[in-house]
Amino acid sequence: MRQFLRMSLLVMACMSGLALRAQDTVVTGKVTTAEDGVGMPGVSISVKGTTRGANTDAEGNYRVSVPNNATLVFSFVGFTSIEEKVGARSVINVQLSVDTKTLSEIVVTGYGSQIKRDLTGNIAQVKSKDIENMPTPSVDAALQGKAAGVFVNSGSGKLGQGITVRVRGNSSISASSQPLYVVDGIPVTSGDQSNYGGETNPLADINPNDIESIEILKDASAAAIYGARAANGVVLISTKRGKAGKTNISFNYQAGVAQATRRLPFLNTEQYEKFYRQAAGYVDELDGLSPEDPSSNTQYLFGPDGFLEYYSYGTYGTPKQTDNNWQEKAFQKGPMQQIDLQLSGGNEKTKFFMSGQYLSQTGTIIGNKLERISGRLNVDHQATNWLNVGLMMSLARTDNWRLPDDNAFSNPLQMAALTPFTPFIDPNTNLPAGAPPGDVNIPLYYNPILSIDYADFVQTSYRNLTNTYAQVNLLPGLKFRSEWGLDLLNMNEEAYFQSQTVRNQSRASNGIGANYGTFVTNYNANNFFNYLKDFGRHSIDATLGMSYQQSQTKRNYVEGTQFPSDSYRKIASAAVKSDGTSTETNYRFLSYFTRVNYRFNDRYLLGASARVEGSSRFGKNSRYGFFPSVSAGWVISEENFLKNNNLISFLKLRASYGLTGNAEIGDFPQLGLFQGDAGYVGAPGQRPSQIANPDLKWESSRQVDIGIDFGILNNRINGEIDYYVKKTTDLLLEVNVPGTTGFARQFKNVGALENKGLEFVLNTQNTVGKFKWNTSFNIATNANKVTDVQGQIIEGGVRNMNRVMEGQPIGVFFTREYAGVDPNNGDALFYKNTKNPDGSIDRSTVTNSGYNSTERVVVGNPNPKFIGGITNTLSYGGIDFSIFFNGVAGNDVNFYGVGQYSSANGIYEDNQTTDQLNAWTPENRNTDVPQARYLITNGSQPSSRYIFDGSYLRLRTLSLGYTIPKNLTQRLKIDRVRVYFSAMNLATFTKYKGWDPEVNSDTFTSNFAQGNDFYTPPQPRTILFGVNIGF
Amino acid sequence: MKKIFIPYIIGVLVMLDSCQSRLDVSPTQTIDQNVALSASKDVEAALIGAYDGLQGANTNGDTYAGGYQYTSELLAAVTNEVRFGGTFANLQELFRKEITTINSTAEGLWMRSYLTINRTNNVLANIDKVTDAKKSAVEGGARFIRGAVYFELVRLYAKQWGDGSNTTNLGVPLVLKPTADVTDADKVPRSTVAQVYTQAIEDLTKAEELLPATNGAYATKGAAAAILARIYLQQGNYAAARDAANRVIASNRYRLVTPFGMAFNTKLNNNGGTPAEYVFSIQVNDQDGFNGMNTFFGTTIGSIPGTAGRGDIRVQPDHIALYEAGDARGAFFIKPTANTFTYKFLDRFGHVPVVRLAEMILTRAEANFRLGTAVGATPVEDINTIRTRAGLPSVTSVTLASILKERKLELAFEGHALHDIKRTGGTVGALPFNSPKLILPIPQREMDVNTQLVQNEGY
Repeated sequence: MRQFLRMSLLVMACMSGLALRAQDTVVTGKVTTAEDGVGMPGVSISVKGTTRGANTDAEGNYRVSVPNNATLVFSFVGFTSIEEKVGARSVINVQLSVDTKTLSEIVVTGYGSQIKRDLTGNIAQVKSKDIENMPTPSVDAALQGKAAGVFVNSGSGKLGQGITVRVRGNSSISASSQPLYVVDGIPVTSGDQSNYGGETNPLADINPNDIESIEILKDASAAAIYGARAANGVVLISTKRGKAGKTNISFNYQAGVAQATRRLPFLNTEQYEKFYRQAAGYVDELDGLSPEDPSSNTQYLFGPDGFLEYYSYGTYGTPKQTDNNWQEKAFQKGPMQQIDLQLSGGNEKTKFFMSGQYLSQTGTIIGNKLERISGRLNVDHQATNWLNVGLMMSLARTDNWRLPDDNAFSNPLQMAALTPFTPFIDPNTNLPAGAPPGDVNIPLYYNPILSIDYADFVQTSYRNLTNTYAQVNLLPGLKFRSEWGLDLLNMNEEAYFQSQTVRNQSRASNGIGANYGTFVTNYNANNFFNYLKDFGRHSIDATLGMSYQQSQTKRNYVEGTQFPSDSYRKIASAAVKSDGTSTETNYRFLSYFTRVNYRFNDRYLLGASARVEGSSRFGKNSRYGFFPSVSAGWVISEENFLKNNNLISFLKLRASYGLTGNAEIGDFPQLGLFQGDAGYVGAPGQRPSQIANPDLKWESSRQVDIGIDFGILNNRINGEIDYYVKKTTDLLLEVNVPGTTGFARQFKNVGALENKGLEFVLNTQNTVGKFKWNTSFNIATNANKVTDVQGQIIEGGVRNMNRVMEGQPIGVFFTREYAGVDPNNGDALFYKNTKNPDGSIDRSTVTNSGYNSTERVVVGNPNPKFIGGITNTLSYGGIDFSIFFNGVAGNDVNFYGVGQYSSANGIYEDNQTTDQLNAWTPENRNTDVPQARYLITNGSQPSSRYIFDGSYLRLRTLSLGYTIPKNLTQRLKIDRVRVYFSAMNLATFTKYKGWDPEVNSDTFTSNFAQGNDFYTPPQPRTILFGVNIGF
Repeated sequence: MKKIFIPYIIGVLVMLDSCQSRLDVSPTQTIDQNVALSASKDVEAALIGAYDGLQGANTNGDTYAGGYQYTSELLAAVTNEVRFGGTFANLQELFRKEITTINSTAEGLWMRSYLTINRTNNVLANIDKVTDAKKSAVEGGARFIRGAVYFELVRLYAKQWGDGSNTTNLGVPLVLKPTADVTDADKVPRSTVAQVYTQAIEDLTKAEELLPATNGAYATKGAAAAILARIYLQQGNYAAARDAANRVIASNRYRLVTPFGMAFNTKLNNNGGTPAEYVFSIQVNDQDGFNGMNTFFGTTIGSIPGTAGRGDIRVQPDHIALYEAGDARGAFFIKPTANTFTYKFLDRFGHVPVVRLAEMILTRAEANFRLGTAVGATPVEDINTIRTRAGLPSVTSVTLASILKERKLELAFEGHALHDIKRTGGTVGALPFNSPKLILPIPQREMDVNTQLVQNEGY
């Protein structure tokens, strides 16, 4: 197959040389609006089936050179496109009318584009207006709720953090489940590269306002052309391009403030004392001690020299006793501002788009901040009538003042667990509690404020995306395009922890500094032919080409300790260079691809594509994979029996089937390896690090998709319904092996899972005319089921409560089942759930001592059953208003990361959530909170007690704008002035009792360890004011 | 004009052909297992890797860097002497004797132990590649590590020697060959307690024979004899224990350091040197290694730079009351806060003592006493050696109880507590020495992947 494709390429190249003499003609004309006949600037005129085209100038005039038998397509956003066969004409004037359809839009596909009407695959499109000026640093976060079947979970309120994006469910267990991101044709680095805290998101280096459109390739026929990396879907990002005509200058400024969405109630000093007296009293009684006995637990906590006295700096029980809300100290108001300047324009031959942005965003958690400066230049130039060249280039610098990962004492939100009687400030030193020379062992745990005041960790990334292309029109309809791209990601991470942080950074007694360098170089070349031709009622669009990608990641790191003083912060001043390393890894992909779309009589559509892909990641025995797809569509509304139907204006049936792969398995998973990192205090050593598997290959996903596209009432109501089944086999499982082998896990292609779902999209124009009201609605279901893991035990998450189990959705919560409280004694109860001899399940209960004898059962599912979004856009005169809700339903969140300490019957001295006040007492027997027992486990074991419903409905964005009437602004030579207010996460409706239901702790990052809350910072609620000025 | 693009296109296509070989990418920082052990130097490096295995990496699998020791101490802890006040649920479970099968200490120790064993098996399977001059030291080192690890495993995960039948009581799986690939044959069942002890004794006997008397930071003849002494003592084979301990003492390569405190916190006291008292220790420096004892027993003392620790294991008044007045060991505690901590493990970069000479003296004293012999020295002489160093007056007579008490105080918190209770038939609070609650579970993950395994009683 590979050989065949390569031969075909050669044959096509040679053939094309034989006939390069076709003559072009020039067409001119004017485009006006149907409404008032005024010339329309910026209308795009394309020669159908080519990438040739032009734009109208300020008066609406255009000039374009066309080959024989060309058809011109006139399009402008919001207007119905018109197609005109040129024939013998040299002047073509057209009138465009306001569009009530959306089907004529051009959708970007892999290595090409297609009119939406002709699509046989499923591609969701998100336009620039849906994502611009959102207060999220990375564009993937802005996709949330905008495209059916695309699930986004921002995880936490930390800025620039890694985000979970799942297209049609989770289709892998051990390999990545994130989609492939392609920017202007180049697959970009999108995985985490950081060395500190949780995962970060390299897509935060891309200015969302530079983006013209995002296409999400969801089904196999759309994605298979990306072969071994398409199984998780492909996100195509296209940046903005210039249009011929007047130069547009747009300036935008917005400023606002963010605050965390929610708080969780914790005990105050009085409640704490009452609660822990109960908890300690119980244990004293158990030990046969009087609470007054000096060795009693009560005295240990409350007595002289006791716990409270110590941790309150002696203020407990005195008039100086304080009540401190530590949780609140973790939060701050985070101001943000963003300045954008965009210029675009050009003439028929050369068009450009230039932009610059400065973004400064302060996190809602103390110490968190992100700043980005970015610039972009996109140039398209028509060198001759047969050659187009272009350059797209962006440069960004992103600084991120980062927070540690959730499961670190220095995570500010863990302050919620500190005791309320401990003052923020050490009264002896007037420094923050725990800062030397004061007692470093106060508060109860490390005071995260010290890491804010006396340490920092800054990640600075420099990102350059460059892509050049040359496109040759070889013959009428046949063109060759060569794209060369480079994605450079250079990242520096610099940390310094002063001596004050020694309780957290135990080696920081004289300061500790670390410096990481990460260099990711990613080259990509695409070379392909495209042939587009109409033969009467037949139309063919064919693509054939190759792609090569080479990626190298180099890292280095140096660490130093023993600094002369806290004023010296660079490792140059470290007396001991305590650690250092350098590493390198590489991967390469080589692929050949083809695609043919055939259309007959505008109503019968056929498509087929294939990709042969080889990768350095696969084992010697299976280096190349073959990924084909087929699809078909039938535009029923073109048939005579529907053609002039007044109700149904458009109806298309489509179906597709194809195979895609997942190769995100690390770079050398197939090899048996030794690693030389097993030295022993200075002597070099080596160790076996990985077991070989020469048969290792990609995961395979077979997906079938059946869909209907419909338009009703002249397409004022239009939508899509899709049903899909995606079966993934040969899962790259990192399977547990017996630990007695000396290894814990091995990569194997075993197992299977499936995702099935239904997607529904509905767009309506509720009113047209002066008052416009549009609604876009999408909802999707996805049912994930692991069908085969060959009995492997795969688990993760907080105390390994997430598990991959056959017959269950991936990562279900698998633990003991909590049965409430014994009203007689306050013991926590658990269902046995063991099998009786007759096969039935024993639903009797046991107390704490019988916990181990109970069976674990599935008690929750972190995967949502429904996801969706609804946007209403209204405008009247100069006023525009939009309101967007998104929602997730049917998923569970594991609160145990917090609950095991903070909702745990006072087992430790951690401050408790106020729901613990409802603990069992002889007077309060009817409760589901077990009796408070200091230092004794009573219901705080892992169990379903801490699994909560994570469904939510969120008022994600709301915006209100006013465009000042043109006649006022034009006196100032200003085209447009729009002032606006917008808000994000203004309201959240949920039953979840933690901080935020949209949570995914960065302590756990695998595909199956989902839905964990571990003192995870909640999402920000942002309010913004902005002004947009166009010249 | 357009034709100039034809050579370009053909050029691109030709270039593609050459891309194919570019898919053969080798890792740059790891090497193929087939070439990793080809020369003597490679096998020597693999032995260093086995020491690295023993050294541990973090608190989930810190074997001799702390895990074996604090697991013993927490399982033996009674609340009036020691309290665990930390947040690690796995340790809380050990302390409360309510261990779950998913306990991460039980899992981590198991995994790291077998990882280390596999590294020693790689050395032993390739021992013929080692040059003659080094062969016996390399083989001795690998056997020392493997024997010691099997001994620690069998006494944590199986019944005490002699508690029922050693030939039917289940020990741990014995794996003696390196793993190249994973097949069903790797689902190894548990050997009996007797089989595991036999293997450990065989390895350590060989190791004592092969190892040199001095060997830098690595295991020596003395270290192998010391672990043998421990094994025999655990079995109640007092004569063999006495003789092995005596071989260590009589080698005259080790001496008690004074004052008592100099035997600990090697970075603070000795700038990273190894005290003459250490027969074997896990080495730690600020670039390598990890002191798990410090993590849980230690705490940060603001006035002493270099101290660290979570301050989780807190010593209670009843323990301190056990020491006589004037006992340097009774003063070897620090109370920076409401809690009292042992002074033994304050040092973040201190070496972790595995065997101190003091243990050998106490073992010899106990064994001599039980046998009514005086090999090397009389029990009274040995006990007085220990007492003198602690700053205590000599005694004129000893009893088994006084020898065991001396042992408890001298070796407090160093990992002996549980095993001494088990071999002497003592109790932990209300639990008898043979309570199933004092035996770690076979880790759940291991039960799940290896159907050949049988779980311990009570789990």
